[in-house]
Amino acid sequence: MSISLPTYTRREMPLLGRRHRLRAIIVTGLRREFKRPAVIVSTLLGVALIVIISTAILLFAGLFLPGQALDLSFFFVPASNQTVLFFITLMASLVGSALIADDLNSMALTLYLSRPITHADYLVAKAAILAPLISLIAVLPLVLTPFVAALLGLFSWTIALQAIGLAVLLGSLFTAFYTSVTLLLSSLTHRKSYAAAGIFAVTFGLTIPAEILSISISNPALLYASPWEDYLAVARAAFGAPGGQIDWPWALVILLAATLVAASLTYLRMKAVEVVAG
Amino acid sequence: MTAVAEAAGVSKWYGEVLGLNAFTASFGTGITGLVGPNGAGKSTLFKLLIGQLHANQGTLRLFGENPWNNVPLMRRLGYCPEHNQLYGWLTGQRFVEALLRLDGMSTKKASTAATAALKVVGLSGAAHRPTRTYSRGMRQRAKLAQALAHDPDVLILDEPLSGADPMARVQILRTISEFAKDGGHVIMSTHVLYEVERITQNIVLIHNGKAIASGDIHAIRALIDEHPHAVRIETSHPRQLAQALARMDHVVSLEVPSEDTLLIRTRKPDAFYKELPGIVADTRLDVRALESPDDSLEAVFRYLVG
Amino acid sequence: MFGEVRAVDDLSVAIPEGAIGLVGPNGAGKTTFLRLLLGLVRPTTGTAKVLGHNIAEGVPVRERIGYMPEHDCLIPDMTGVGLVTFMGRVSGLDADTAISRAHDVLQFVGVEEERYRKIAEYSTGMKQKIKLAQAMVHDPQLYIFDEPTTGLDPRGRTEMLDLVRVIANSPGRNVVLSSHLLPDVETICKYIVILDGGHQIAAGELRQLLSGSADRLRIDVRGDREAFAQRLRETGLEAEATPTGVHVARKPGVEGVIFEIAKALGAEVRYMGREIRSLEEFFLELVERNEAAVSV
Repeated sequence: MSISLPTYTRREMPLLGRRHRLRAIIVTGLRREFKRPAVIVSTLLGVALIVIISTAILLFAGLFLPGQALDLSFFFVPASNQTVLFFITLMASLVGSALIADDLNSMALTLYLSRPITHADYLVAKAAILAPLISLIAVLPLVLTPFVAALLGLFSWTIALQAIGLAVLLGSLFTAFYTSVTLLLSSLTHRKSYAAAGIFAVTFGLTIPAEILSISISNPALLYASPWEDYLAVARAAFGAPGGQIDWPWALVILLAATLVAASLTYLRMKAVEVVAG
Repeated sequence: MTAVAEAAGVSKWYGEVLGLNAFTASFGTGITGLVGPNGAGKSTLFKLLIGQLHANQGTLRLFGENPWNNVPLMRRLGYCPEHNQLYGWLTGQRFVEALLRLDGMSTKKASTAATAALKVVGLSGAAHRPTRTYSRGMRQRAKLAQALAHDPDVLILDEPLSGADPMARVQILRTISEFAKDGGHVIMSTHVLYEVERITQNIVLIHNGKAIASGDIHAIRALIDEHPHAVRIETSHPRQLAQALARMDHVVSLEVPSEDTLLIRTRKPDAFYKELPGIVADTRLDVRALESPDDSLEAVFRYLVG
Repeated sequence: MFGEVRAVDDLSVAIPEGAIGLVGPNGAGKTTFLRLLLGLVRPTTGTAKVLGHNIAEGVPVRERIGYMPEHDCLIPDMTGVGLVTFMGRVSGLDADTAISRAHDVLQFVGVEEERYRKIAEYSTGMKQKIKLAQAMVHDPQLYIFDEPTTGLDPRGRTEMLDLVRVIANSPGRNVVLSSHLLPDVETICKYIVILDGGHQIAAGELRQLLSGSADRLRIDVRGDREAFAQRLRETGLEAEATPTGVHVARKPGVEGVIFEIAKALGAEVRYMGREIRSLEEFFLELVERNEAAVSV
């Protein structure tokens, strides 16, 4: 007869690689976000509202949009719905503002970086937590709308599929921009509320003055400063819709550049944080 | 001899949460260490002593007076709180000056007093740097300087050594000892027991809001009957020495753990030490070393608190 | 040897296996040294290897290191077991192994049902234990403890130091203990590295560094110390009374003389033994000497 007491056992197997480590961070992060009532409600509300509004526009196109041809350019309308902008900003501030700021506040960053991952790994994982949540607003409803339209027989599948493809591309572009900028803001402060305020400032603080001023001083070039107007310019070109006061190539360049610059700045900022304090 | 501080049946509750529960102890002159587990009531006692809180029950006297709402009494004490956040943008000199002027000192006097206090704690070199650049050890010393600068009669220090590097520790302990030597009184709390033992033999042990022991460490130790005092003697004839010592009736047990060691447990350490030189000298047995492994504050704490 | 750091900002250190104490005043370079070990910072000149890996590689080194930081670093809204499991997975353990080991190490450090509660509700002692658990979960070869007893009450300190000691004594495990509490370092580490001003000013086996005067005795006398010392001097021995006791040169038969004098004076001898220098004394002396040399 013998007694075996539990002991602190040694690890026998080798460690799993980078993909597993990042997956652990991403999955844990997403799970935590989806447990939050605020996130669930905003997601559902955002998706539902955008889909409903878009479907209403679809069904009553004749009423709301006299003179609008029922071809690909129609799908610019749901894509340019201001609700999209509002809910993206809301998502970014609800989820994104705390992603890095909380780790800075609690200094849990020390634990992360003392693990066998790099700064880049950490940022990639955080981006991979935020991007899916933002794309639930930026991509999903705009993909559902053409799909529903085709199902209802209002549009041909050819056009619908084209619209879906464009929605994915445009949505991803806008998601990338917001993910990158949100993470940058989140990395600059310990307080997630400041980061959240920053995101609203980037969205509305740039857009509203730009729109007002461009009219009052008649200089449409000011619209380049608004990420929303840049997105609209690119979307307009993609869907073939008429109008627009700024050129889409420049708008595209601005969005891409801002995304890359924000990402680089975030990386530099994270590398500068002192995790071993003396 | 009037005690510096006297507590009689002091109780303080925060709603349901226990602060102090019928706490009765007397803090004598010189340096007294206040020791106890986390949550035992040390901070509560300090806040009562400096007049920030009012007790629910019992009487508390500092220099014979009630600290509550007692501004003249506050002038006679210097307090070092536990937290380490100073006004980061102020230099060490300005920090101490500002607090002195809050006390009512004139600008000129405050300046001289601050300079002197910073010199005593060894911060003269860093006095003109903002406190946010200070290390933990330097912050502790800055706090001590502001507590000393107005020449108080008593220092009340909450964890004055925590986080300090070895040099700062030595400096702080030295400053406290000098203060006591010049006639000041000190009540200081700490978790690092061997540091208390270095500057004083007087302690008050607090647990669950009550004082469970107070006085001289060795006297307290001697009173803990369930744990007889162990003494280890290094000698080449342990068994003969054991025979000689067995004659003392307060000896509880004698062990020979190795061929050159004798381990004695006695209920009356004072009597033991008094008789030991006589026995050793008479029997002429060679005793090479002698020590008492559990006659320390660490042991007292362990036996009384667990 | 598990680590070798050469010429980094003029810092040259070679670290043997076992439990090593890292000691030094503030600004001595301890923090930089730890950052180097963790591969979070690259040396400006020179090379460094830890556990056979060049620290420039960062990730492979950190796979083998468990770091217990000094400051608060836990995620407040996770449970104890949740955090330790998560950190295990981020270190590369698969999900099942991570949970299993998390529970094992939580048991080892002494966290019972509290492991299911949120960390925000934990006491200081419990938080320190979780910090230790997350450092252990992936079974590293090198542990770095930075002030492990901060904020702990005497009971907590003893428990924590006992845990560190068990880890330090496990075969195949190396421990670097960085602390300002030199007596703690003394009881756990066999080897010490002392830094000051970015340099290593002393390193070696503790016992050798502190061997001090084996040829003197310290006696804790209760009674008239001065008279005691005087009587010793009268018998031709070198003796002096200091605040820590009476110190006398060790000669054959001196012990017997001591007890005779004690009997004659009616004094008590409460301690008699080697005049051991403490790490603290050694350290302070060394640092003073070093600062003096530097300012010359």
